Amino acid sequence: MLKVAIVGAGTMGRIHSSCYVNIAEANVVAVCDLRVAVGEKIAGIHGAKYYDDFDELLSKEEVDMVDICLPTYLHKEYAVKAMKQGKHVFCEKPIALNVEDAEEMLAVSERESVNFSIGHVVRFFPSYKKAIDIVKDGKIGTPKLMRTTRTGEFPSWSWNNWYADYSLSGGPILDLIIHDFDWLINNFGDIKRVYAKSFNGKIEKKDHCLVTVRFENGAIAHVEGSWAYPDGAVFGSTFEVVGTKGQIEFDSREKSPIKKHIHEENGVKVTIESPLSWWDEPYRAEIQEFVNSIIEKRKPLVTGKDAIKAIKVSLAAIESSRTGKPVYIGGER
Amino acid sequence: MKKVKVGIISFQHMHGLSYTSILQNLQAVEVAGIADSDYFRGTEMAARFNTAYYEDYKKLLNTDIDGVVICTCNKLHGEVVVEAAKAKKHILVEKPFAIDYKQAEEMIKACRENKVKLMTAFPMRFNQAVIEAKASVDRGEIGDVLCISGINHGKIPSGWFLDKELAGGGAVMDHTVHIADLMRWFTGSEYKKVYAESGALIHNKGIDDCGIVNVEFENGVFGTIDCSWAHHKNYSIWPEVYMEIVGTKGVLEIDAFKQNEKVYTADDGLIYDEIWGSDGDEGLIREFVEILRTGKTPLVTGIDGERAMEVALTAYKSSLSGEMEEVEHLDIL
Repeated sequence: MLKVAIVGAGTMGRIHSSCYVNIAEANVVAVCDLRVAVGEKIAGIHGAKYYDDFDELLSKEEVDMVDICLPTYLHKEYAVKAMKQGKHVFCEKPIALNVEDAEEMLAVSERESVNFSIGHVVRFFPSYKKAIDIVKDGKIGTPKLMRTTRTGEFPSWSWNNWYADYSLSGGPILDLIIHDFDWLINNFGDIKRVYAKSFNGKIEKKDHCLVTVRFENGAIAHVEGSWAYPDGAVFGSTFEVVGTKGQIEFDSREKSPIKKHIHEENGVKVTIESPLSWWDEPYRAEIQEFVNSIIEKRKPLVTGKDAIKAIKVSLAAIESSRTGKPVYIGGER
Repeated sequence: MKKVKVGIISFQHMHGLSYTSILQNLQAVEVAGIADSDYFRGTEMAARFNTAYYEDYKKLLNTDIDGVVICTCNKLHGEVVVEAAKAKKHILVEKPFAIDYKQAEEMIKACRENKVKLMTAFPMRFNQAVIEAKASVDRGEIGDVLCISGINHGKIPSGWFLDKELAGGGAVMDHTVHIADLMRWFTGSEYKKVYAESGALIHNKGIDDCGIVNVEFENGVFGTIDCSWAHHKNYSIWPEVYMEIVGTKGVLEIDAFKQNEKVYTADDGLIYDEIWGSDGDEGLIREFVEILRTGKTPLVTGIDGERAMEVALTAYKSSLSGEMEEVEHLDIL
């Protein structure tokens, strides 16, 4: 039985926490967060011990694995600290705010011979997985034109509003559409250059980014992300994969089996839900995969190298959105 | 009421068939003649619409018609528009307006010198969903427009459309202009910069069939136009015109052909989306007839067509250079 410590009991910490209920090979034994109430609440679910200090947690608990659900700017510090004590680390995306930090994290994981993975969870979404199965079956020929969107409200619910400070979060190009970059690179090949536009934090509590991608293999893609939908808007993601023989389309807002129309004081609220069986649930699946990789003593499916590839594309897109010019991944054209 | 007399010049572009059918159904119109350099196509159309056939369009221009609808291949727009203007006929010309600046300038000048009205066939301006969306944006319902993500996918056409000499280009020439015109109309601003990724990616016809065109307006609004002939032959609907308009107060999505219903037939094993909503063609033709009846200024002019063409031409320039390119404006004001 793997002993797990969850660090960070915010939105992602809560989601990860609920996943362990359905992972037979791992137990949450410790939860760390500055905020006593949220930390103790999650700890209570698992009968785990609450800590407000990570060093204390590491010195007192014999954990095998640390699950990091902290804001991006804290990833490196906590991941490196845990790995140096021989802990396997599963860390939320994006891996880090810059390539240097990410490479240091990867180097430490290799030096310490611990498993290290990043939560590129879109690979585990059944809808996205199914599309790749169809592509691999040859149903649509060679994929040549991809479109993805990931759109919703500004994440103003975040702790200390850290998402709004792009020096801490990287904004939607680094934090949001990195999901799509990882999925695209992993399934359709390395990216050669990007051209991007965004509000770049110039408009308060709103950002929207449009990134045009050229792959090394000649395919193209349009990657769109939004933190510009009004507060309370339904979050949605879409993809379109066009190949030489056919195409696949998906829109989460159109493919939800449950639609509720509920009477409320100020009218009717319509909500949509797309429930999944626990064994199909993507956040559980990504953690289960990581747990399996530790037990089976193999590399995890999502590697640190994959995560670095993804942030390189995000960082190039951020640069392009600032300079107004296409940016080649790895520098020269 | 005296009927206006309309001539049709060529059915090389298949829209000629739709336009002529609508004209024939309007009480105020007499379809007075059809010219087509293809004898078989021309005589068949003349028989179908019960009107006179001319092999030489100049002979049709010598009759007492009030206006002409020009649906030749793109390359011939220049010559035919100039001749029609000299014959003092008002003109509705199919999109794209022209294939180069020189041709466009000659067309606009000829119409001015001969005091005839020149209208570009942008039927999307007359699609009721687009009209309502424009009205909503004008009322400020989504605040100030910040960016627009547009898609005009469709099936790949055949024949001269795939001949760069006759069409002036592939998908980028054929499909950029509809949304380029709508975005310019919605923003009320002029194009400044274009960056495009395009190529012959999915149909192997030796001409660009996919493209993502990034645009930036003088007023700072940016957007993308996906002009790909992305749909394969069994796709359930031909046209797709979609725009997501992000504003300071909200987001408006238009899916202009969504007023359709699904048809499943065992006849050919296919699934169709049959459109019952407005497709724009009838509004376009009614507007042209009003111009002929009253001499009013067209809601969508030759200059509108020319400005949209500039985006497609600049997209080709950018695709070649791999750089963001400034849009050169024809000096016609």
